[in-house]
Amino acid sequence: MLNYLSKKIRFWQIQNQKTNHENDKMNKQDNTQNFSQSKISLNLKENLNNLKNILGPSDDIIMREFAFGKKAQISAALIYIDGMIDKTLVNESIIRPLMYDSRSSFAEESLEVKNIDIIKRSMLSVGEVKQVTTFDEVVESCLSGDTILLINGAQEALIISSRGWESRGVEDPKTESIVRGPREGFSESLRTNTTLLRRKLKTPDLTMETMTIGRKSKTDVCLVYLKGVVNPQLIKEARQRLTRIDTDGILESGYIEQFIEDAPFSIFSTIGNSERPDAVAAKILEGRAAVLVDGSPFVLTVPMVFIESFQSSEDYYSRPYYASIVRVIRFIAFMTSVLGPASYVAVTTFHQELLPTPLLFTVAAAVEGTPFPAMIEIIAMGVIFEILREAGIRLPRPVGQAISIVGALVVGESAVSAGLIGEPVVIVIALTAVSGFAVPAQTDSGAILRFVFVILAGTMGGVGVIVGLLGVLIHLASLRSFGTPYLSPLAPLSPYDLKDVFIRVPTWAMITRPRTIGWKNSQREKLILKPNPPPEKNQKK
Amino acid sequence: MRIGKGMLSIIICVFLVLSLSGCWNRRELDTFSILMGMGIDKAEELGKIQLTAQIVKPGDLKSEGGSDAKAYFTVQAIGDTVFDTVRNFTKETNRKIYLPHSQVLIFGRDIATEGVQKYTDFFVRDHETRLRTHVLVARGEAGKILDVESKLEKVPAVGISHLLKAQNATSEAIEVDLKQFICRLMSKTTAPIAPLIEISGEGEKETLRIPGIAVFKQDKLAGELTGGEARGLLWVIGEIKSGIIIIDCPSGEDKISMEIIRASSKVIPKIIDDQIYITVKIEEEGHIGDQECPDKLSLPDIKELEQKKASVIRSEVLASLEKAQKLNTDIFGFGEAVHQKYPKQWDDLEKRWDDVFPEIEVEILVDARVRRSGTLIESVSQ
Repeated sequence: MLNYLSKKIRFWQIQNQKTNHENDKMNKQDNTQNFSQSKISLNLKENLNNLKNILGPSDDIIMREFAFGKKAQISAALIYIDGMIDKTLVNESIIRPLMYDSRSSFAEESLEVKNIDIIKRSMLSVGEVKQVTTFDEVVESCLSGDTILLINGAQEALIISSRGWESRGVEDPKTESIVRGPREGFSESLRTNTTLLRRKLKTPDLTMETMTIGRKSKTDVCLVYLKGVVNPQLIKEARQRLTRIDTDGILESGYIEQFIEDAPFSIFSTIGNSERPDAVAAKILEGRAAVLVDGSPFVLTVPMVFIESFQSSEDYYSRPYYASIVRVIRFIAFMTSVLGPASYVAVTTFHQELLPTPLLFTVAAAVEGTPFPAMIEIIAMGVIFEILREAGIRLPRPVGQAISIVGALVVGESAVSAGLIGEPVVIVIALTAVSGFAVPAQTDSGAILRFVFVILAGTMGGVGVIVGLLGVLIHLASLRSFGTPYLSPLAPLSPYDLKDVFIRVPTWAMITRPRTIGWKNSQREKLILKPNPPPEKNQKK
Repeated sequence: MRIGKGMLSIIICVFLVLSLSGCWNRRELDTFSILMGMGIDKAEELGKIQLTAQIVKPGDLKSEGGSDAKAYFTVQAIGDTVFDTVRNFTKETNRKIYLPHSQVLIFGRDIATEGVQKYTDFFVRDHETRLRTHVLVARGEAGKILDVESKLEKVPAVGISHLLKAQNATSEAIEVDLKQFICRLMSKTTAPIAPLIEISGEGEKETLRIPGIAVFKQDKLAGELTGGEARGLLWVIGEIKSGIIIIDCPSGEDKISMEIIRASSKVIPKIIDDQIYITVKIEEEGHIGDQECPDKLSLPDIKELEQKKASVIRSEVLASLEKAQKLNTDIFGFGEAVHQKYPKQWDDLEKRWDDVFPEIEVEILVDARVRRSGTLIESVSQ
């Protein structure tokens, strides 16, 4: 039966591949029609017409024709997209030197062919200027916010980097708030984000490979890593997975995540994300690679291991004792959020003998007279909680408060006093809900698992819960993230890396980088860094 | 494709597990009645037994402003065997009896005298019963005991089990659970013991009391140990937790109460010329808890107190020993001690233990100490 099914699946896959192939062909034809590979001609008018054809009638595309030179004999045109360029830069550093200063510098009538060189070399006071020859490149740069300078009589165009648009500044990260630590978070602009990383790691080893992904969106995606620390195989693999992506648009790093993850059907994410530059910098220092996507403040990091979900950047900024306690509390909270409702269902419907007698009295008294079985109660309350949560997130803040009041009063208080559900169920669900948020990275997988476990517990009791746990454990152990086992350093066990799992050892004792992520250059600090103040002198002497 | 296979095998595993899970049953908390205590008596009809079950009423457990409704009720059923009778309860209760939380199992006096062997099998064999259930013997009808309201607990059976724990304060009775009881019952020489329970007072003042320890010969009730006798037994088997020993002041007039803090015992058997000698070594430590006489106690006085205390302990042990030998019940487990030390001779001894036990010579060595005098050095009366 298995073989039969797998054959079916394979057939279906092959069929899909074929249709993909056809799609590709069609798209390619489509592209060649629009973006001609044709070269820039000598005639400015012809070039402009050509560009107008390609860019269409959109009125945010500005084509500014002007003339310069001593007698204004050279006609030229600037092409840019309104709103995507830095206006002061274009006015002050491109138009002004060309129109005013050129009168003096073009003392003689130079050969028109050379104009472009002279302009590039000595007239444009802009940092980045490129010379290109095809319309393809011209159009692409123009759409990314660069300014194009076309000169009559030149077969080349100048691409002047003048990107500048309205964007959100560097603000507090909204998702990963911490008490102690930097307050800056990534924003939507790729350049801002790379800058934030550069400022944390001022080394030439910090490499940023940029590529453009998305047929229509042309999104800049940047692969960042630390040369000499990162495993070259990892970079090769990441690069390969990124270049494989061929889609029309990348609007958020979540798109990339789904295209490059190892286990697309797993409920566990094998790719980490963070909004904090310090967290990403720390991961890069450990030998991971980061993927920055233009337009998204969420930076992906690979490989990701399960334990990462339980680590917060604040663990490393506060002293180790409390950080370790909090670490353990997060593990407990995750287990509570996944197994809490299931344990309640299993114990009250299968293993009543497990409850201490006084507790059994309390639960029995609370449950007496409620109309539904425990499993239905728990599932209903769980669903209601998810509804409240979802409503609370999406609604505007003033309305959101109304939701929480209705949720707390109506669902919590009234349902119990009306005798619809027992108090213990409310307590279990409330506890579960709160613990679920203690591990933000696993909130979604936790919510799914919770329901699965409740159903297992309600049908098979404790046996079901254990079977489910084993299943999840086997699944977790089978996952890989870019070659790194998902459960490392626990399985396979790597004793040196246990320094940052259940306890967080002092920073001076974190001598090595995680071994399962990169073997190269594993020592990260000097061996004896433990603070060793000089012994106190005897004051009586 | 690989995922398809993995998922399938997981699903298959889950279904296989369903068939492996053996004895399980889904039942909601409000579909069964929680049994808290059971009493076994002889029924009026010959050869039948009467079980009394104390069952919790969960709805009345909620403590909402002194509602006087009882949180329990008792049901009685008559049947031929224990299991049969347990099932007969459902003729009167709409919910099936749920056994695991049962706190006490009380044998009525008449059934205990007749022999309890045949009524214990069910409680060990059934998967729902627990060996941690307390075993007691009523000084009357067991069913009546379960009808007595507890003054502090909502469910009387819980009150009884707490009452048993409280006996540690005097060490004049002992907590016995079903497992200990069965172990002694299965031993060929060691006699089972169980705490006694009786109703004292009448009407509103009716309450439960633990007067001592019931002693069995094989599975039949043979006698009772009360007060010092009962403590004598606990000294030997090392079950003393606390308690008060009263001795005279050195001046002779008034009394001093000594609190037992720590006690341990050792039973050392010895066979010389076919005669069994047993040495019981008891070590005890205590504090002065209450001194009536105004004397200031000197060091020699303390030594004297220790001597007196040791003699009180010795007399308690002797009293219980005398009673046990008279009843010919080896409640101390001397037989087991001999068995362990002299396995070769035991085969022979075991057969005639009933003849041997009353003749055993026991030497009692007591080492009693006074460690502290509480928060006072001298008496308050001066």
